[in-house]
Amino acid sequence: MKNTVKARKPVSSQSKFIFFCLLPAILMVGMFTFYPFFRGIGMAFQNYTLFDLTDIHFIGLDNFKTIFTQPQFLQALSNSFYWVFVSLIFQFVIGFILALLLKKPFKGRGVYQGFIFYSWAMSGFLIGIIWRWMLNGQIGVINDLLLKVGLIEERIGFLSDPKWSLASVIVANVWYGIAFFAIMLLAALQSIPDDLYESAGIDGANWFHKLFYVTIPYIMPTIIASTLLRVIWIFNFPDIIYAMTNGGPAGSTHILATYMMDKIMFGGDYGQAGAAGVIMIILLAMYTIFYLTATKSGKGADF
Amino acid sequence: MVRTKRMVLFVFAFVMLISMVLSGCGSSSKDNNDSASKAGNTVTLKMIESLTSPERTEVLKKMLAEFEQQNPGIKVELISPPLQNADTKIATMLAAKEDLDVLEVRDITAKQFVTNKFIEDLKSYTSKWENYKTLNDSAKMSANYINNTPYYIPYGLYQKILFYRKDWFDAKGMTPPATWQEVYEKGKALTDPAQNRYGYAYRGGAGGDNFTLMITQAFNADQINPDDSMFLKDGKTIFSTPESKQAMDLFTKIYQEASPKDSTNWAFSETVESFVSGVTAMLINDPDVIAVTKEKMKEGTWATAPIPLGPTGKAPRFVGAAGWGMTSYSKHKEEAWKLIEFLSNPDQNLVFAKAVGLIPIHTTAADDEFFKKGAYQPFIEMNSKPDAYLMMRDATDYQGYGESKKIAVEDNQALILKQRSIDDVLKNWDKYWTDQKANQKK
Amino acid sequence: MKHRLQSLGISLKVLFLSLFLIVMVFPLYWITITSLKPSDEIFSIPLQYWPAHITFDNFINIFNISNFHIYIMNSLIVSLTASLVVLMIAVLSAYVLARYHFKGNKQIMYAFFLTQMIPAFIGFAPLYIMMSHFGLLNKLYSLMIVYTAGLIPFCTIMLRGFFQRIPSSLEEAAMIDGCSRLSALIRVILPVMLPGIAATFIFAFVQNWNELFLSIMFIDQESSKTIPVAINGFITKFNIDWGPMSAGAVLSVIPTIIIFAFCQKMIVGGLTQGAEKG
Repeated sequence: MKNTVKARKPVSSQSKFIFFCLLPAILMVGMFTFYPFFRGIGMAFQNYTLFDLTDIHFIGLDNFKTIFTQPQFLQALSNSFYWVFVSLIFQFVIGFILALLLKKPFKGRGVYQGFIFYSWAMSGFLIGIIWRWMLNGQIGVINDLLLKVGLIEERIGFLSDPKWSLASVIVANVWYGIAFFAIMLLAALQSIPDDLYESAGIDGANWFHKLFYVTIPYIMPTIIASTLLRVIWIFNFPDIIYAMTNGGPAGSTHILATYMMDKIMFGGDYGQAGAAGVIMIILLAMYTIFYLTATKSGKGADF
Repeated sequence: MVRTKRMVLFVFAFVMLISMVLSGCGSSSKDNNDSASKAGNTVTLKMIESLTSPERTEVLKKMLAEFEQQNPGIKVELISPPLQNADTKIATMLAAKEDLDVLEVRDITAKQFVTNKFIEDLKSYTSKWENYKTLNDSAKMSANYINNTPYYIPYGLYQKILFYRKDWFDAKGMTPPATWQEVYEKGKALTDPAQNRYGYAYRGGAGGDNFTLMITQAFNADQINPDDSMFLKDGKTIFSTPESKQAMDLFTKIYQEASPKDSTNWAFSETVESFVSGVTAMLINDPDVIAVTKEKMKEGTWATAPIPLGPTGKAPRFVGAAGWGMTSYSKHKEEAWKLIEFLSNPDQNLVFAKAVGLIPIHTTAADDEFFKKGAYQPFIEMNSKPDAYLMMRDATDYQGYGESKKIAVEDNQALILKQRSIDDVLKNWDKYWTDQKANQKK
Repeated sequence: MKHRLQSLGISLKVLFLSLFLIVMVFPLYWITITSLKPSDEIFSIPLQYWPAHITFDNFINIFNISNFHIYIMNSLIVSLTASLVVLMIAVLSAYVLARYHFKGNKQIMYAFFLTQMIPAFIGFAPLYIMMSHFGLLNKLYSLMIVYTAGLIPFCTIMLRGFFQRIPSSLEEAAMIDGCSRLSALIRVILPVMLPGIAATFIFAFVQNWNELFLSIMFIDQESSKTIPVAINGFITKFNIDWGPMSAGAVLSVIPTIIIFAFCQKMIVGGLTQGAEKG
């Protein structure tokens, strides 16, 4: 309600202004995002495969039935949950700690921030490639370091052993995502007025109380908004996995997003890919609704 | 304060203006080219490759330059997408009927292109092509793979051979393995994890299905229907026999006792790398690896041999191929054929085959010294013993062919990681192909 | 006693920050020295943590075997232009969505939010066919158009948040003085929002610079390729050419790091300003 303009001028001129300001955005998003999206969803209900494009027809829910019976899909589903939530927790906690530590300015903080936040500016594909190189089972540097330090005796096949593969891609993802939370939370932390802490200190609060009863509640909107968005992005983020393992070995690192990519690129089956995509969106929508009601934040992203 | 902010705004606007001008210049120069080509009546052919590599693209560009020289009215624009996504890109372009004249057709994509009517039937051209007669049998078979009609002209043939570390074998007084059993035994003998040495470059990752299939077929050998190689002559699948179990059992033993644990996920590049860098003693692969081994390994340390035989002394094999085809909707079909014809004539093909490391398509090439000696020798040996090294037809006719490769890789990985049993995996594969056959459109 | 706890706290803090710095910088360090090693050293065991011979061959190589300088130009043009256009469009829509109550305001916000949930690949094939019909394929500006469209929702959401923090009294004052709505927006509001706008611009730029799959699909000819496509091209059938690949990776990362280093103060400042309650 605050900060809105009271209508002063005649309505038509204001409406025209609103209309023309929104027009480019709505046009472009409608044409280049929503239209292909709806077509793509349409494919989910057809037998649209590259193998035989001459025979495309409506097949109802068949694609859905097919993928639900595929163990790879179910594994991708469960992997997606691990991928999202483990990544999120580590990214958030470490990012938060970092933000707390950086809250007080110190000499060289700007430079330091430049050095640790840059990961967010890199492409997921590149990050995947770099980590793939470092985690190489034969000549990777991580194995070498672990051997030198004596933590392991034999090289670990980080990306070839299903026990390690999901953890490895998650590590790369955490490395990438810490910066996002650190930046957002740091910005939010810096907006907390100091007198709040002072009065809490007078009331006898120690750092623990200050953290949980002053800091966190104050920046809760930022926390909610950033975690919400982040979950959606991580869920839909195939680049790192694509570059590191492409879903292998034995499908142990497939998430729904890479599974869908795989259906398109390897199987040429747009129908099944579309079905996977629909399921993804339904899951995300359910999550969003649940999350927003649980945290009692009705309005949309309010940074 | 306001001034600096104004300055920043100005800079932004300026940069934007420059970028728009630059991008406008970029596209307008392209427009100039188009109008020039229309004006001078030059035909521009658009060609796309699939198995792209920087080195191969260089060779292609040279060949195209020569073609343009010989044909002043024709220009060729080569599109080279990154290898990983090339086939997807080609398929997308074809589906959208995007401007394309000549394209790289692979044996695994041919069926799909033909069914969707993307590529042209070349019979009217090949019947008038004098060099068609000198195509060797494998090349002819590959070209006419679908419906016995030539839909593409292969630029080379892929046949697998065995690469081995001659120096390691000599040091232990061993001859190269002739059978799969010997691959296991000799591989095991050469394995020494402390020295980071292993017997066999096991391919557990992408493409590993080629090898589980290879050994399964080697064990089933005479029972297989050569025209429908996932099935036996009696109609059942090759995965339903006790021999298939023996095959997978042996292959799993090879993984466990003669290969690095890491190889569960090894694909093409890792297996080649392991051989070239001295980690593994044996590698089965296509001849294009020869270029790499020649470059990166000392002469005398490596050699080639025919692929291993099964227990009955047979080794069924496929001949893979890829080549050049023409889009069905090309507006310059005559010129496109000229290009394909040029690239496929005996001289050009020889240049290409040598550079990329493939078997050339013309019978005349067999006389070339390059292919008679050394690394290419096993091909001659295998081709001269067709009873032992039987030719099979791969199952590209089935809709589930592409998918089956993925399933085979994943199931095999589960198998060697002891998550599934051999019986379980074989039953799965048996069911898969039985279903494929039942659902096959006539 | 308090002193000791404090110094313990400080040393822990320093320890953690240093550890973190090492972990974050190490991959970049590793890929950089890999790009400076000759190819036999890259694959040698034992691993060299500092190259025995520093060579620029890999860098020279990628300029030889591919037209990397053209790719850099293309990436620059596409990323800059698309980001600026997004900014313009998003500023307009965000302003209107923040300031005015009108029918459909909420729906548009939800629709924009929905686009964030859409997995990109689902629309690729239809998008390609549509672009093909319009003859928009293979031109750099078509890439710009799609990138712009893709980023409008998020940038609008971001900027709307910033607009909401700024009191409307600012532009009302300007309008009383005779400015039109639009010029009030440009002359008065934007300067105040500069850090937030910078943050949004950089975010858009980074997204565009790193985009891979669309650029593979939409661009055919060499002269129009962007950096991510080029780097992907180093993954050949034979091996990942780690020498040129790391060189390409380093070259690709440098501009984003530079921009980021210069502007991250502005970004954090921008986000801080955005988070300040009015």
